[in-house]
Amino acid sequence: MSFFDLDFWVGVGIVAGIYGIFTLGLQLNVGFTGLINLGQAGFMCVGAYAMGMLVVDAGWPLGLAFPAAIVIAVAAGALVGLASLRLRADYFGIVTIAFSEIVRYVFQNAAFAGGNQGIIGYDAEWRAFQSWASERLAAIGLGEAAEVPLLVAVWATLLLCLAALRALQLSPWGRVLKAIREDEDAAAALGKNVFAFKLQSLGIAAALATIAGFFLAMNVTYLYPSEFDPSFTFFGYAVLILGGFASYGGVVVGAVLLCALTEGLRFLDLPLSAGQAGSLRFIIVGLILICLSMFRPQGLLGSKAEMQLRA
Amino acid sequence: MTATRKAGEPILAVSDVTKRFGGLLAVDRATFAVAHGSITALIGPNGAGKTTLLDLVSGYDRPDFGAVRFEGRRVDGLASYRVARRGVVRTFQLTRVFAAMSVRDNMMLGAQRHPGEGLHRLAFSRAAVRRAEAAARERAERLLRAFALDAKASEYAGALSGGQRKLLEFARALMAKPRLVLLDEPMAGVNRALGAKLLDEVERLRREEGMTFLFIEHDMDIVMQRADRVVVMAEGQVVAEGPPEFIRRDQRVIDAYLGRRGNAA
Repeated sequence: MSFFDLDFWVGVGIVAGIYGIFTLGLQLNVGFTGLINLGQAGFMCVGAYAMGMLVVDAGWPLGLAFPAAIVIAVAAGALVGLASLRLRADYFGIVTIAFSEIVRYVFQNAAFAGGNQGIIGYDAEWRAFQSWASERLAAIGLGEAAEVPLLVAVWATLLLCLAALRALQLSPWGRVLKAIREDEDAAAALGKNVFAFKLQSLGIAAALATIAGFFLAMNVTYLYPSEFDPSFTFFGYAVLILGGFASYGGVVVGAVLLCALTEGLRFLDLPLSAGQAGSLRFIIVGLILICLSMFRPQGLLGSKAEMQLRA
Repeated sequence: MTATRKAGEPILAVSDVTKRFGGLLAVDRATFAVAHGSITALIGPNGAGKTTLLDLVSGYDRPDFGAVRFEGRRVDGLASYRVARRGVVRTFQLTRVFAAMSVRDNMMLGAQRHPGEGLHRLAFSRAAVRRAEAAARERAERLLRAFALDAKASEYAGALSGGQRKLLEFARALMAKPRLVLLDEPMAGVNRALGAKLLDEVERLRREEGMTFLFIEHDMDIVMQRADRVVVMAEGQVVAEGPPEFIRRDQRVIDAYLGRRGNAA
């Protein structure tokens, strides 16, 4: 495979877009509400599995199963929030990661979710659309890469979510979230129902996780529990830190850079075994993140002034 | 919204309020009232339980025993944001501004019942949101001018001096159009000229908008000049209550508070 392989980079673009949508939700929680959500992969798992099971087991069309899955994931977010949002920030983080692992192990072991075999066969409608779209693209000379329609769909969705979240952040609602991040007692003294705002923030993040999970499901062709392990959330945090705290634009930049970096490093031609080369890629990515936190601690698009004021 | 105001009924009535932290009796059967439209000072030596009492009144803590009534209705046990919505807004001893937000945004957060803070209204009643935002902005600019903070409106609140933060916190509380303002040492760290301005503003708001103020203060000159009633606490108990000139001569107060200072001097 050459460095200029189009299919390869289309694939990287899809994964970057999925991480972008996923991490926009994290940014809303972490960067703009001060909620350390470590369970984002769990919400994604609930949403993706709900979609898969509604299509495969209940025979729902994808167009219905998808919004229903969002509702289910938001309900899961509300449930986790009701149980844990009154806890201190660090305990909230612990509860969310526990939730994420509980979800994963349940789906891995429950017969209704396909267990270790996972769920397959939910994407027939999408495949049909994809081949229809590919033919149209081929007619105008863009037919080389099969996954272009997915790439377009992911990125159109990502940019739409980005625009919506930015508008929300500039609204009075977003202003309250930021105040809660800064000092929730002071926000309460001004009559703000801190708990309700946190719950809304978590619910929207769960919805974004589901959208990311939807595209992930279409990209991988079958749902399998270990796709949703906590390392997905932590990779999202790496995207967030690289792009910059409290910056939605930074999420997009961070997702593209981090995915291009981890995947592009595959082309390093070194006399190493496949396992060694894989480890080396992550060592290099880790070093770059360390250098970034030394020389640009606010991230690529984060605000240094804001960061210092929070310290 | 006008209060259901009966003749002679105090705006705030604290009765037998008790709070214990482990072995420490922080507030011990505290009973006092704050009259409508008054400027009431809460004084007492360090550790007397003044801030704890303020926490109990504003919903930041629950009393173990006793009742707090605001405009005749119980507010003890209510969540702090609900107490604020009833019309009781407080400031904090250690000033709490939203550091990484602009001074103007800090002020805008004081606006009450802002439709733009609800997701559904944001989506479906955009005109109402714009109107509320414009009205809040106007009030914020006016208050910032009154406190000489207008030149700093676009700066981060965290970049203000300690005194300016105190002023911002007070101005932000006023954004909420409260009927009772609780101030925890509003003068601490504020220079005398700015402090005098703040107190002039308190008197103007009381006169023109009928606001009531309860403030914790250590500077006895200020208390004697500006307060029309004084509540004195010592070791968790309210030991005296009355007009300043009466408090000044009260032997229990002299023993508990002024006397100690007098001996030291």
